Amino acid sequence: MRDTLLEPLSRYCPSAPGGVALPVSSTNLRHRARLGTGLCLLLPCCIVSAQTAPPTDLVIKNATVMTASHGTIEHGSVWVHAGKIAEVGATVGAPADAVVIDATGKYLTPGIIDPHSHMALGDDINEATSPVTPSMMMIDAFDNKDAALYDALAAGVTSLLLLHGSANLIGGQAVVIKNKFGLPREQMLFPNAPRSIKFASGENPKRVYGSRDMLPSTRMGNFEVMRQSFEDARAYMATWSAYDAKVSKGDKDASAPKRDLKLEALSDILKGKLLVQIHCYRADEFLTEEAIAKEYGFKIRAFHHALEMYKVGDKIAPTGTAIATFADWWGFKDEAWDAIPWNAVMSMREGVRVALKSDSNDYVRRLNQEAGKMVHYGGATEDEAITMITLNPAWIMGVDDRVGSIDKGKDADLVIWNVDPLSTYARAEKVYIDGDLYFDSSLPGFGTTKFSGVMHTAGFSGADDEDGGVQ
Amino acid sequence: MRRLPVLLACLLLSAAVTHAQSNAVGPNGTSLGAPGTVAIVGGKLLTVTHGTIENGVVVMSGGKIVAVGPAGTMKVPKGATVFDAKGMTVYPGLFDAETTLGLSEVASDQNNNDLLERSDEIEPNMHVTDAFHAETVRIPVQRINGVTNAIVAPAEGDSISGQDALIQLYGKDRDAMIVTPDIALAMSFDGAVRRRGGPGAGSGKFPSTRMGVASQLRQTFLDAQNYMTEQAAAAKPDHKGPAPKRDLKMEALIPYLKGEKPVVFGAYESYEVEVAMGIAQEFHLKVILNHVTHAQDVLDKIASYKVPVIVGSIYDAPEANERYDAVFSLPAELQKRGVKIALTSMNNNGPVSDSRNLPYAAGYAVAYGLPYDEALKAITLNPAEMFGVGDKLGSLDVGKTGNVVVANGDPLDVRTSVQQVWIGGVAIPMVSRQTMLRDEYEPLTHPAKQ
Repeated sequence: MRDTLLEPLSRYCPSAPGGVALPVSSTNLRHRARLGTGLCLLLPCCIVSAQTAPPTDLVIKNATVMTASHGTIEHGSVWVHAGKIAEVGATVGAPADAVVIDATGKYLTPGIIDPHSHMALGDDINEATSPVTPSMMMIDAFDNKDAALYDALAAGVTSLLLLHGSANLIGGQAVVIKNKFGLPREQMLFPNAPRSIKFASGENPKRVYGSRDMLPSTRMGNFEVMRQSFEDARAYMATWSAYDAKVSKGDKDASAPKRDLKLEALSDILKGKLLVQIHCYRADEFLTEEAIAKEYGFKIRAFHHALEMYKVGDKIAPTGTAIATFADWWGFKDEAWDAIPWNAVMSMREGVRVALKSDSNDYVRRLNQEAGKMVHYGGATEDEAITMITLNPAWIMGVDDRVGSIDKGKDADLVIWNVDPLSTYARAEKVYIDGDLYFDSSLPGFGTTKFSGVMHTAGFSGADDEDGGVQ
Repeated sequence: MRRLPVLLACLLLSAAVTHAQSNAVGPNGTSLGAPGTVAIVGGKLLTVTHGTIENGVVVMSGGKIVAVGPAGTMKVPKGATVFDAKGMTVYPGLFDAETTLGLSEVASDQNNNDLLERSDEIEPNMHVTDAFHAETVRIPVQRINGVTNAIVAPAEGDSISGQDALIQLYGKDRDAMIVTPDIALAMSFDGAVRRRGGPGAGSGKFPSTRMGVASQLRQTFLDAQNYMTEQAAAAKPDHKGPAPKRDLKMEALIPYLKGEKPVVFGAYESYEVEVAMGIAQEFHLKVILNHVTHAQDVLDKIASYKVPVIVGSIYDAPEANERYDAVFSLPAELQKRGVKIALTSMNNNGPVSDSRNLPYAAGYAVAYGLPYDEALKAITLNPAEMFGVGDKLGSLDVGKTGNVVVANGDPLDVRTSVQQVWIGGVAIPMVSRQTMLRDEYEPLTHPAKQ
C-alpha cells in the first residue's frame, strides 16, 4: 500500500519527498491536491492524522455468509489475510492477533458487481460520430470523483464494468474498476482485468445514424456494418501476416504496414483478445449475433439487456454466452416491449448464465433488491439470486477467478448487511475491498474511509436506454 | 376437534378452486365471474386503521367491504366464495399517489404518449381524463402486484400541467376505471419550466427565469380571481348585458382558488419549496407538496406549513457531496415531524410509471427509519386522505371499496408474491401481457411439459 501511494503523491505534490515511504492516506492526498502544492510542506502534520493501513489479518465472525459459490453458511466466519480471503467456514484458523468484527445477526456477501454501468464517464458515453469506433478507450473519460461511485459504494458495489454507450455497432473498450472511492484514478483500476468491448444492435444505432441519412438505418444495415468491419479486419490481419512472413524469411527490405488503431482493435476481437459485450434486446438478434460471431470466429461474452432471452434461451445456452439483464425494466422502447420480469430466472433455467446489472446511477444503489425480485419473479433461490449480482457478473467481466464469491484465495471484497441483502430493508453497513474498509455507514459524514473532499456529479446521471437513449 | 381444521381446509380449497374456474377473462382483462360475496379467511390482516389481526376474516359484498375482524368473532356468510389466506398477508389495495398510467404506452414512441401538453406553461384546462387509455397494456402489469388505485397526472414540465384523475386499475372501459376526474391540479415550481427562454440565452421568450415563472403563476391566479368575480357578478339576477365569454383556463382554476380541491405542487430544492408555498399561501391554495427531494435543510419549515407531502421519489439521487442516504431518509424525517406523507412509484428513470414497484419504495423508507405502519399508510390511507377519498379507500374497514390484496408475505418486501387482488369486490384475473408471454415460453424452461 505504502509504495503504491508514492507515485501519485509526487504527482499531486511535486515538492513532496518522493523517495520516502510514508503511511499517507489518499484522503490527505486529495486535500493536498485541492489546496495546492504550496501546502505540501505541511505534509508531515497531515500524516499524523492519516488512517492506519488495513489489518494484515481480519476476521468477520458469526455472520450469515452468502458465498455465491457454495451456498450460505449460517453463523459463518471469514478470515482475510493480506487482502485475500484465507478461509471461510463455520470456524476459521486465524491468528490470535487478527482484528475481529463481530457480525452476529448480520449478513455477509461478496462485493456486488455491476457489469453494465456508464457512471464516472462524464458525458463522454458515446463517440457517436461513426458506427464503428473500437479504439475508443473509456479509461480516457474515467472521472474518479463522480458522486455516483460513492453512491454505488454505499450500496455495496465493489467492481464495475464501465462501458461505451450503444450508439455504435462496435463501440469502445471498457474500463474495469474496483470501487476504491477516494483513491487516485490508477488505483481504482481493476488490476489486469481482461479487456472488454461494447457492441450494440437494434434501435439505437439505426436511429442515431439513420436520422442523419447514414448507414445504418435498419437492422439489415446494422449487421452489414458489422460484417464489413470484420472483413476489413481480416484484410488488415492478412497484410500484417504477409509482412510477418517476409520478416521471418529474413526479408530485410520488407516495409511494415501502417498501424491503424481501429483495425487493430477489430483484429483483436477476431483474435479473441477482447471480451465482446453486446447491447441486444430481441430474440432474433441474439441468433444473428451468434451467427456472425461463428462466421468470424469470435466468442460473445454476454448479451446486455437481453430482455427477450427467455424466448431463445435454449438456443443460446449451448454457446456459453451469458446475459446481463434488468430485473423488471420494460416498455421504454419498442424492442423492450416483450420484456417480462421472469426473463432472468427463465433464462437461467434454460441454462444461460445470468447476471443483473444497473445500467443506471439509480438502480446501482439497490442491485441487491433487484436480485431479491428474482425470488418473486420465477422463484430463484436466494443463493441463485445472489450469484446474479456477484459471481455471474464477475464472469462476464472475466474476473471471476479473483472476485465474485467468498472463496479461499479470492480478493476480500466483502459487504456486511444489516439484514438479508435480498430484502427491501437491507442496507450495506460495511464495505471492504481487498480487505480494506472503504465504507462504514456508522461513520459520520459520507461514511467513507478514504474519501474526504469534494465530489461532483458527472455529466451523465441517468439510465442507459431509458426513453430510447443511446448510452 | 383437531380434525375440523383439516376438513375446513379441504372445503376452503375446493371453494377456492371453484372460484378460480369462474374467473375467466373478459373485455379489457375484466373477470367474467359474478362478483357475489367473498370471504378471505385465515390471513394476517394489515388493516392500516386498527392494527394487525393475526387470523382475520374480510368479507366483501356488493363491491364493498362488509365485515372485518378476527376469525373467532366472524361468520362467513352462506354462499360466499371463500379464499383461504392461511399463512398469507391481507391488506388494502395500494394507492400510488402519482403516475402517468394510461398516458403512455411505449415510452419512446411519441404517437402513443400524451404525457404533457407543452405549448404553454399554464395549462389548467388540460384534463388527463381526455387522454387516459383504459386499455393500456401497462395497467394489468401493475395491478397484479397489488396496486388498485392511482392518481394519473400529466408529466412535469409546465407550471400548471393540467388536472389529475383518480383511477381504479380495473374496469371494462374508461368510465369504469376513472373514479374521480379532475381530482387535483398538477403544478410545479421547478427551474425546468423555463423552457421557452431556456436557461441563459434561448429564444428570448418569457419566462426565462424563476422570477418569470413565479410572476407568471401569480398573474394567472390574480386573473382567475378577477374572472371568478366577474363570473359571479354576471350570474346575479340583476346583471345587465350579455354574459361574459367563458375562459376555460380561468374557469379550470376556480375550484382550486376556492380551496375545494388540492393542488399538487412540485418543488425539489429548499428555495423552490419556499417560493412555491409563498405563492400557494397568497392564493389560499390547498396544497399537497410534491418531491421536496433536496429540501432537507427546511424540514421543520415544511412541517410548519401543515400540508401533506408526496415525498421524493425516495430513489432520487442526493446532490453531490450529500450523504448517500440524504433522500432515502427523507420520508422518515418528515413523518417524525408530524407531516402526512405519501410515496409514489415515479422515479428519475423516465416519465412512465411502474406502480408495481410502489411497495418497495415504502419498504426502502422503512430501511431508512420510517416506522413500518407509517410506510404502509404512505401507500394506502395517506394518499387516499390527501385526495379526499379516505372514506372510501386505503384501509380494511367496513364500508370501504372492496380493494383488497392477498400476498404470500410482507407486502413491502421485494421477494413477496401477490396471490390475488380484488378491486371493487371482484377477484381480478391475475393476468397481464407479461404473464401471457411468460406462460407462452414457459415450456422452454420445463421441457417435460412440451
